[in-house]
Amino acid sequence: MMDAVASEWHKLRSLRSNAYLLAVSVLAVLACAGVAYLTGRGFDHQTAEERLRFASNGNGLSTGLPVAYFVFGTLGALTITSEYSTGMIRTSLVAVPRRQLFLFAKIPGLTAVALVAGQLLAFAMHLAAQAVLGERAGQLLLDGQTLGTPLSDPGVFASVVVSGLSMAAAALVGLGVGAALRSTPGTLVALVMIFLVLPVVAQALPSPLRAQAGSYMIENLPAQIAGVGGGLLPPPAAAALLVAYVVAALTAGAAVTALRGRKVKVMAVGVAATLLTGLMWVPAAGDSADTGPSSPAWRPCDDKHAPRDMRCTSVQVPLDWKAPGERKITIPVGMLPASGAARRIGTVFSIPGGPGASGIDDLKQFYGKFAQLRDRFDVISFAPRNTVKPGGVLPYECLATGPWITLPADRAEYAALGRSNRERAQRCRAADQEFFDHMDSASVARDIEAVRVALGEQRLSFLANSYGGTPAAAYARLFPSRIRAMVMDGTAGHIEDTAADEPRMYARAEREMERFAAWCRSATACALHGRDVGQVWRRLVTAADRSPTPVRNDPSGAAYTGFDLKVAAAPSVTSPGPEPDVPRWVQLADAIKKAADGDASGFADYVRQGSGSPKVPSLIGQNMTHCLDGKGYGSYAAYRRALRRAEELSPNFAGQRSWWPLGCVGWPAPVTNPRAPLPTRGLVPFLGVGSWTDHDIVADIIRHVPGSSSVRYEGHGHMLYIYGKSGCITAHVNRYLTSLRLPPPGTTCRPTG
Amino acid sequence: MRYGRTVAVDDLSFTVKPGLVTGFLGPNGAGKSTTMRAVLGLEIPAAGTALVDGRPYASLRRPMHTMGALLDAGAVHGGRTAHAHLGCLARSNGIGSRRVAAVLEQVGLEQVADRRIGGFSLGMKQRLGIAAALLGDPAVLMFDEPLNGLDPEGIRWLRDLLRSLAAQDRTVLLSSHLMNELALTADHVVVIGRGRLISDTTTDALAARFQRDVLVRATRPERLAEILRAHGATVTAEHADPATPDRAEGNLSVRGMDAAGIGGLSVRGMDPARIGDLALRAGIALRELTPRSASLEEAFMELTADSVEYGTRPATAEVAR
Repeated sequence: MMDAVASEWHKLRSLRSNAYLLAVSVLAVLACAGVAYLTGRGFDHQTAEERLRFASNGNGLSTGLPVAYFVFGTLGALTITSEYSTGMIRTSLVAVPRRQLFLFAKIPGLTAVALVAGQLLAFAMHLAAQAVLGERAGQLLLDGQTLGTPLSDPGVFASVVVSGLSMAAAALVGLGVGAALRSTPGTLVALVMIFLVLPVVAQALPSPLRAQAGSYMIENLPAQIAGVGGGLLPPPAAAALLVAYVVAALTAGAAVTALRGRKVKVMAVGVAATLLTGLMWVPAAGDSADTGPSSPAWRPCDDKHAPRDMRCTSVQVPLDWKAPGERKITIPVGMLPASGAARRIGTVFSIPGGPGASGIDDLKQFYGKFAQLRDRFDVISFAPRNTVKPGGVLPYECLATGPWITLPADRAEYAALGRSNRERAQRCRAADQEFFDHMDSASVARDIEAVRVALGEQRLSFLANSYGGTPAAAYARLFPSRIRAMVMDGTAGHIEDTAADEPRMYARAEREMERFAAWCRSATACALHGRDVGQVWRRLVTAADRSPTPVRNDPSGAAYTGFDLKVAAAPSVTSPGPEPDVPRWVQLADAIKKAADGDASGFADYVRQGSGSPKVPSLIGQNMTHCLDGKGYGSYAAYRRALRRAEELSPNFAGQRSWWPLGCVGWPAPVTNPRAPLPTRGLVPFLGVGSWTDHDIVADIIRHVPGSSSVRYEGHGHMLYIYGKSGCITAHVNRYLTSLRLPPPGTTCRPTG
Repeated sequence: MRYGRTVAVDDLSFTVKPGLVTGFLGPNGAGKSTTMRAVLGLEIPAAGTALVDGRPYASLRRPMHTMGALLDAGAVHGGRTAHAHLGCLARSNGIGSRRVAAVLEQVGLEQVADRRIGGFSLGMKQRLGIAAALLGDPAVLMFDEPLNGLDPEGIRWLRDLLRSLAAQDRTVLLSSHLMNELALTADHVVVIGRGRLISDTTTDALAARFQRDVLVRATRPERLAEILRAHGATVTAEHADPATPDRAEGNLSVRGMDAAGIGGLSVRGMDPARIGDLALRAGIALRELTPRSASLEEAFMELTADSVEYGTRPATAEVAR
């Protein structure tokens, strides 16, 4: 055996044509460099937004691989077909009369050459592509990949090494096919079919089929083995398929070599083809078990506004998780299934905000924003138990309104506010007290876990939007090991005491007030242009505190106190609306000017649009969760401390933040989900994203989770990902969700256009 | 052994002995190469076995040490140098590079050892093939048409080589379709035709059997003819124009006499020495005394005609087993 191997090695070495053939493989490097050059040139001519939409060049090997395979396959084929074409086979078989030994003795030498040359070639291809792309390689794309992936990226080094290994596989496939067909031209045609034509045909197929067929192409196996894309197969299946290609080809070759006659030859090729097809279906079957959650009965959504490919189902959960055997409620769940264009990673659960918003509505409304994510994930969400919509357990009319909050000046006023709150809450609570008392975010978190169990997923990836951060934090405390990834997008904190959050919120409001004032200085659209906005505002507030500013168009005689003005203005200050028109700042400036002239109807008009009320009501539908989540002040003393602190910190908005906790004074149901620290271990690093107004709060949450990172969007906005506010943010979130890679601390995204 | 429906070699059995050069004779297509390929395991007989030292060739671990063979001098990869070609074969049987250099020198290719085989003449390729057969220093050597393409000097060299190999008590088998080639080289000849064994005998015996007549030119041909006939020979006149031979037995004619009046006689049934003795006693001067053999084709015709008497079956596809 060793003699035969040594002989074949010498045969391979002693032909100058083999060295020339290997030299031809440089074409593969040129192909990679050429495609990288074209990609780079196209890239340079695009706008920043269009650049985000580029398809990744990956490790840079994909174009060159078929070329390299063909060269190595030819090398392998020639080691046997040249024996037949020159007649050398007769001499060789006299020296080594055992035919299969003779064939198999070619394997070690060929493999050794292909392994070494393959590695050199693979790395040359990768480095050439990366060098041509240069700095552009680092450009982050919408789907979370970069334009070029460097060796330092996870899986990339492995993918290049495996690509090099796969060239040895290509050489052995060539050897097997060559031994089966015996003719050099015939074998070359077969190799062109296998390495070049079939992949092109697969590319021409319609979408889901294209990805499936493409997954089986030998050129796409290395990336799949390394787990960096390339197709739908899990790494073990891809590796098995690569081995199967080699085994099938060599089986055919060995069978034909051992036996004689045309019929045998055809039969052997047939057996090999059957073997290969069989092995292709095995991974396919293995994969289909992994293609998605199957436990719940997903069906088309009974909703004509739902996208056609959206699926709906529901899970039954106990209303009271402490009494799981008793009353059950139904939680609707929606899914945007994975597209099937790439290997599915798992499920992303989008946790809606509010509290009271429906995640199913989010999936419908922001359908297109999940497009890239759906290449790798099923995206699911739900209408949580505390969703405020008509037709729910509790009367919508009751939940969608609430008392006006006043800023209590003393204990008596505090107690009076409590009575007013309690009276309004009881009206809703009376409809179903048991239900009303279980609207806390911890129960919502347990409902999420019930959905996970129903899906049969080991772990979930999360996109927590706005108040969705509170159930997300509860989930992190309850089921830390079930979190694969957690994106906190403009989320509220639920870790430290309410009063501890307030200074940051005031700081943000003051910063925004400065931005608003700066805008007024520069923009003639501002009704206060040319005036000191801060001074006008503070005088207005002081005057309204002395004597409330009437809403002149309100028949009920509503009037705005300074506190009312702050509560009504704050959302507009922090959310100016789309730039450069900033409609809400224009509106706010008009309202301030009008109020300074003695009419608060500018504020009232705006507030009415959202609530139907001339002043901002403290919504029962939100408070039923807020108050159970412990968002209220624990005591009058705590309220006073917070207010004093606010007066020191916030000349323009002192007291405004108290509007939220004051809604829980006198609340009839007890706090069941108090703020609490996150677990100190067992949590994966989180990604936080937030705008100017959200980022600091998000950053403050994720700093409790070691290894986490955040991206600041240098502009206004909220729930940046599902609104698709910034391609850069979308790219960072997709990158984290797909590859769990976090941006370095201090990363920012700038608004484009 | 069949190709499709044609039986190439049928029920062929013979033994090649050491210490002798054995010729393997037959016209083109007789099955010589097929037989050799069967011995080497390149063809699998439908029935029967070809054993080397009592074992199938394919089961030998390092077969080149047991048997060296040259089947087809052209069955080489033209891209390799002579040295590399032999190196590849040597390694497959655990033979060192010194031996490669030695056989290259033995066949006279040491000067072109590093040239690529593609540029070799047929004669050089024959020498290379012989070198390959010698690599393992085997006790059995088998050459298929080794003389093809060799120049006269090369033919003499090969004859000497084969004789020296046999002298070393090796078993040497070489095939040819030319009887005359073999007559000068082989000690023993195996003749096959249409895939069947026809003759297995010494070269001398075969030569004797194929000896057709003795050409005699004498000053008095009519007298000599009478004397020879009286001693039991068959004598006919040899014609100057071979295109119109006089086949009439017993009627001596002098039409065939040459310009000098010296007639040619075709004498059968008597060896040249006896003819010479009888002429001397009769005082007749001999101008020529040449034993003449049949051409191989003629001999082959005779042998196959004989084979009917042996009662073997005709070797055609229709009776194939």
